[in-house]
Formats: sequence, C-alpha cells, structure tokens
Amino acid sequence: MSIRKGKPYPYGIHVKDMKELCAESPIIKMPAPKKVYISMSQHIGAPAIPVVNVGDKVTKRQLIGKESGMISANVFSSICGTVTAIEDIVTASGLKMKHVVIENDGRDEEIFFDNIADFEPKTIIERIRLAGIVGLGGAGFPTAVKLSPSTKLDTLVINGAECEPYLNCDYRLMIENTEDIYRGVKYAAMALGIKKIIIGIEANKPKAIEAFSKYDDIEVVVLKKQYPMGSEKHLIYCTTGKKVPCGKMPFDVGCCVQNIKTVIAIKHAIEDNKALSSTVLTVSGKGIKTPMNLRIQIGTPLEDIIEFCGGLVGETVKIISGGPMMGKGMIGTKSFTRKTNSGYLFLTKEETSLEEPTNCINCGVCAKNCPMRLMPMYIESYALNGDYANAEKYGAMNCIECGSCAYNCPAKRSLVQSISLAKNKIKEMKKNGR
Amino acid sequence: MADKLLKFSHSPHVRAVRTTKQIMIHVCIALLPACVMGIVYFGLKALLLLAISLLSAVASEFVYELIVGKKICQIAKKFDFTSCVTGLLIGLSIGVQTPWYVPILASAFAIIVVKMIFGGTGKNLVNPAVTGRVFAFMSFTSLMASGWVAPSIGSLIGGASLNPTTGATTLTDIFTGGALPSLSNWDLLLGTGLSGCIGETCKVALIVGGIYLAVMGIINIIYPIIYIAVAGLFTVCLNGFDFNYFLPSILSGGLMLGAIFMATDYTTTPNTTLGNVIYFTLLGLVTAGLRQATGIEVVSFVILLMNLFVPLIDKFIINKPFGYNKPKKAKGVQ
Repeated sequence: MSIRKGKPYPYGIHVKDMKELCAESPIIKMPAPKKVYISMSQHIGAPAIPVVNVGDKVTKRQLIGKESGMISANVFSSICGTVTAIEDIVTASGLKMKHVVIENDGRDEEIFFDNIADFEPKTIIERIRLAGIVGLGGAGFPTAVKLSPSTKLDTLVINGAECEPYLNCDYRLMIENTEDIYRGVKYAAMALGIKKIIIGIEANKPKAIEAFSKYDDIEVVVLKKQYPMGSEKHLIYCTTGKKVPCGKMPFDVGCCVQNIKTVIAIKHAIEDNKALSSTVLTVSGKGIKTPMNLRIQIGTPLEDIIEFCGGLVGETVKIISGGPMMGKGMIGTKSFTRKTNSGYLFLTKEETSLEEPTNCINCGVCAKNCPMRLMPMYIESYALNGDYANAEKYGAMNCIECGSCAYNCPAKRSLVQSISLAKNKIKEMKKNGR
Repeated sequence: MADKLLKFSHSPHVRAVRTTKQIMIHVCIALLPACVMGIVYFGLKALLLLAISLLSAVASEFVYELIVGKKICQIAKKFDFTSCVTGLLIGLSIGVQTPWYVPILASAFAIIVVKMIFGGTGKNLVNPAVTGRVFAFMSFTSLMASGWVAPSIGSLIGGASLNPTTGATTLTDIFTGGALPSLSNWDLLLGTGLSGCIGETCKVALIVGGIYLAVMGIINIIYPIIYIAVAGLFTVCLNGFDFNYFLPSILSGGLMLGAIFMATDYTTTPNTTLGNVIYFTLLGLVTAGLRQATGIEVVSFVILLMNLFVPLIDKFIINKPFGYNKPKKAKGVQ
C-alpha cells in the first residue's frame, strides 16, 4: 500500500540501460535439453558431494549432490535420465568444477518433498536448506544460513533494484509472479520473525512498483535509477537509512536482504514442495538473434540456449555470464547454467569496450563516483606495484567490485581487476598470518 | 562460433565512451575562442606564435618518443592531444612581442623535460604549460616582460604596424602605484586597449571556454570560481576593503587563463572534492598575496608552486569509505 521514495545517495553512476532489448518479452520455459551438466559447486562454500553413481537412473528434483559442511548446499537433478558421467570439467569461465552429467530419457516425472509439517521458523529454514536454495542474485550464499542470524533482525529488504544493464529476469518475475514473490517473502519474514518488509524497486520499473503496491504489509520503496542500487549496502541505506559499517554485514544493522529469485525459490520449496532445479535468466545483447527471458533447467549447456534463441548474429566479441558491469567474461561457449546465473550476454564490438588502457591522468572521476567512497586510483597503483599493505590502508577490502570506477575511467584502466587482485592478495596475506 | 576467438577481460564489460583523447580535444576546442580573440587583437604575429608553439609541442613529443625507440605509427596511435593543449597554452600565455624562438624552447622544455621524462601524460609532477611559461619567462625576462603591445582590432584587417608601447600593464598599475587603472572594467573584460599576453587579454573568450568545459563535464566550474573569487576578495582585503579593487584584480593579468585552464589540469589537482577546495583557495590566497607583495603577475609562478603541494594535500585528504567509523582505541584487546 505504502509507496515512498528512497533516500538519495549522491555517489554511483548512470549506465546505459539496454534493458529495452527484452524488457517486455515474457518469460518462456525452455524445453529440457538432451543432456545436462550439473555443477557440484554452485554456491559459496564447500562443494556438494555427488550421491549418485554413473549408470544410476535419476528423476527430476532428485538429490544428486549432498551438502558438505555448514556453508554448502544440496544439488538436485533438473531432468529425468541416466547419469552418464561424474567428472571434472573446466568451463568457459576458467574454473575446474565437478559436474554430474545426466542424459535425458524423456520421462515426465518429478519427486516432491512431503508437505511441510508446520510453519515454525526452524521448520521453514530446514526446508530451505534441504531444497538447496542459495542467494540467487549471484553470490550464491546458502539462504538457510542467511536466515539464521546470530542477532535479532528487524527489517527484511527485498532487492528488486536490478541495476545491472541488460538484465530483466527480476523485472519479469516481479510483474509475472508477483503473488509467488509475496508468499515467498512472507515465509522468509516468518523464518526471521520479522514484521517489517521493504521492497526496493528502481524507478524505471513502474509496472513492478504498481504490482507490489496492492499489498498492505509490504512497503514499496522507489529507488532512483542509479548504479549500483542493487548493492546490498546501498540498498539498505536507500530503503532504511541505515549505514552498514565497513567490514560488517547487513545483519549487524538488523537487516536481511533477499533476492527476488531467492524468495520465489523459497515459496516453491515450502508451498509446492519443490527443490531448486531451474532458474530464470536473461539472454541478451546485440549478438544474439532473439534476446529473451528464459526459465531454464539447471545444467543446460550454453550451446542449447544459443540455439533456442535463434543463434548468434553479427560479430559477438564477448560472452558474459551475468550482467555487463559485474559479470564474468567467458572464453567460449562451454558453460552450463547454474543456480546463480542471472543472464548470458552476447556483446558485439560496438557494445563492449575493448580499448587499451592508457596512463592514469589523475582526473579523480573514479574517486568521485565510487559508491563506497574509496580512492580506486591509489589502490590500483599500489596493487600494480605489489604494495598490498598500502592498498589495504586505502580500503581495498571495502570494494564491492561494482565497476563504477572503471566504467567512467577516461584512461580505460582496469581498475576493478587490480583492486580485485589486491583483495585476493590481502586475503592470502591474512590467511598466512602476514 | 568456435572458430572465432572471443575477447576475455575482467568486468566491467561496458564503459562510457569518453577517453583521455576526447577530453584533450574538448580542452583544445575550449581554447579556440581565446586564440581567435588573440589573433583578432594582435594580428597575424599572434597566429604565427600560436602555430609555432603548438607545432613545436607536438613535434617535441614525437621526437622524444622516436628517441626512446617507438615506431611512428605507434606514437601516432598513442597520441592523445595533451601536447596540443600544452602548446596552445604556452602560445596564449606569451606576449605578441616575444621572439619566435621563445615558444619553441618553452614548448620543448614543457613537453620533454616536464612531461615525457616523468613518464608522459598523467605522470608529470607540475603542469607542463605553466612550467614552460615560467621557464621562458626566467630565461628571456627582458624580451617577455617589456615591449607590451596594445591590441587593436584593426591590426589583423588593416595589417597596421604594431606599435610597441612600453610601460607597465594594468596589473603593475594597481600594485605599485596603488592607483586603480585608467581602463574601465569593460575594457579589462573585453581586452580592448589592454596590453598583455595573446590569450590573456580577452576575458570573455576565456570565460566562454570555461563554460564550454563545464558544460561538457570536463572541469567543475566551481573550482576556478573559488580561485578567482578568493584572489579578488583577498586583494580587496589587502587594500583596505576597497571593493573597487575586486573587478580590476580578477580581470587583469593571467588570472582567468590560469584559473580556468592551467590550474584545473587533472594531473596536478588533488583527487578529492575537499582537497580541490583547499587547493584552489590556497591558489587564490597566494596569488593575491604575492601579487601585492611583488607588484608583478605571478599566476603561473603560483600555480607551479602550488602544484608541488598537491601530493601533500592528496596524502592527508582522502575520502572516508561508506560506512566508515573511527577505529576505536583498543581497550586491553591485543
């Protein structure tokens, strides 16, 4: 019912939207592929351990990878078929991961959980854990862990900002599956014992804002169209006015942020007794014939997706998994849909940036735009000179790698890459006790 | 698909279009009104001097790059128009009576010694144009600081002879005699009847250039305004709060050119908003103070001097990260 404007935040950038490529195309269910390659580490934390063997017949939504440890998540089969291999595959993003390969046998069966016994927080969280739900916004942090914080929280913030250019999957879900999101949000709030629910939506999605304005118990906060509004810390600041201190997590200020897709998965796990086996993603860019929003079975090879979208047109020079600002580049098409995928982009030469970096001219644009108020030029130059201690002094660890600095850099420097390097080195140094 | 190689890089994969080269071209465009007015006022000799300093600056960069072993096509590809800006600024900040070889030496010094030896664009410690001008001024003081020519609109069209008018410029009038100049503020603003450097006489042209830069988002117009306003107000203070000094002091000498185009050079300004405010305020104070004390035009010297304080400002003024809280003093925890 209540709609209000978000608190303005003066830093950050404006990026070219490019959402119009498929913002108005409804989510289409892509038919199950002939073969799926399901990764055992689709989340942050320990990889799941395969519980099937080569030759086993599996059914859709059957457990094939069991969580191993506190921070881990179950993995389920996304089709019915036979396990043909369990092997380490180096995917196009350059990571070697264990995959379970399942060949489709065309059966139309599914396995469901039993009906949930009660709606106690503990039961809900247990079901979320069982269903293998992780943060589907991209981070892949197990949701069950996130919903059992050590401190008492007061606000649940739903992230409907989707500030990344090109991507539309959250937007489509918000207008097509509004009721599912609402119910999922209620379950998440129940699990946390929270009354106050806020959904933050960027102003360029009026339909989504309208869709949520009919609920009395959800506060809709209209955010300025600004990048990176979908960053956890900035979303919390703009919706609640609270600042998450450096090095702290949202729960330190009593907030919990959940992604649109995550809450839908929660709803499916609790009401429909379904484990997480598919995801919604945007296939876009000028390099693909028909950009669209797809519901895809986890483990679908990228080649099948390209074929379904009509193949590649023009000269694709970059394939990206995720959004163009924070997504990962890929070296080929050997990629398989993961729980956390939010999109595949096929960028042509004119869309992407291929300039060689030149000298930093000290213009200060990076520092002016940085939403975390860092000084990227210093961190970069310290990182490139191997002085990671000083890079840390200038706040490298606070970087959220949103890319605001590099986006506007006139010298086209790879600021994010250098800062990311510094972060990894600092973590390494801390691990080795300096 | 598989037969074509994909590009691979770290995020972000999309970027804004603006490059260093574009910024420098914008600065060159912003300098054009001043160049045109200089030529209108001082005739073809001004055009010649501007062309000489521009070409020698560009040539210096190419020569240096050739000496260090780069190929000509490489240099041309890498060329980012910064030396054009430097060359134009040097040309604009010398008087029309200056002999032709002075801008060549100044440009070569600015580009080779001040910029290229330190590592090229963005690596210079001090502003090349300012330093080039100071270098020329120190080396050829008698040639550059005397024999000022009063501009005349007719000089270009009629090809009239340039009449050297010896004597003090407006600025010297103010600060040595303490008397207000005979020229009206309108004359100072438009540069009519005012002797001075090629690009420094017509303030309107410089302001137009500054507005262009601000509209294109290249400089923050607030900073030059701070510099000019502080310099003007401090002059007023030093002269017994006589506000009649305000306009003549900001409209004379090289203050406009220095404040809008030289002091705002990215490389030699602090990186933070607060740092910039401090820097430009200090520039204004020091300029007004030194002008009063010495009675000569000091803008380029002051910019050169203050450039050296920029690393210091940058060391102490840094942004506080979002969500920063002061580290609490550890109480027994160690």
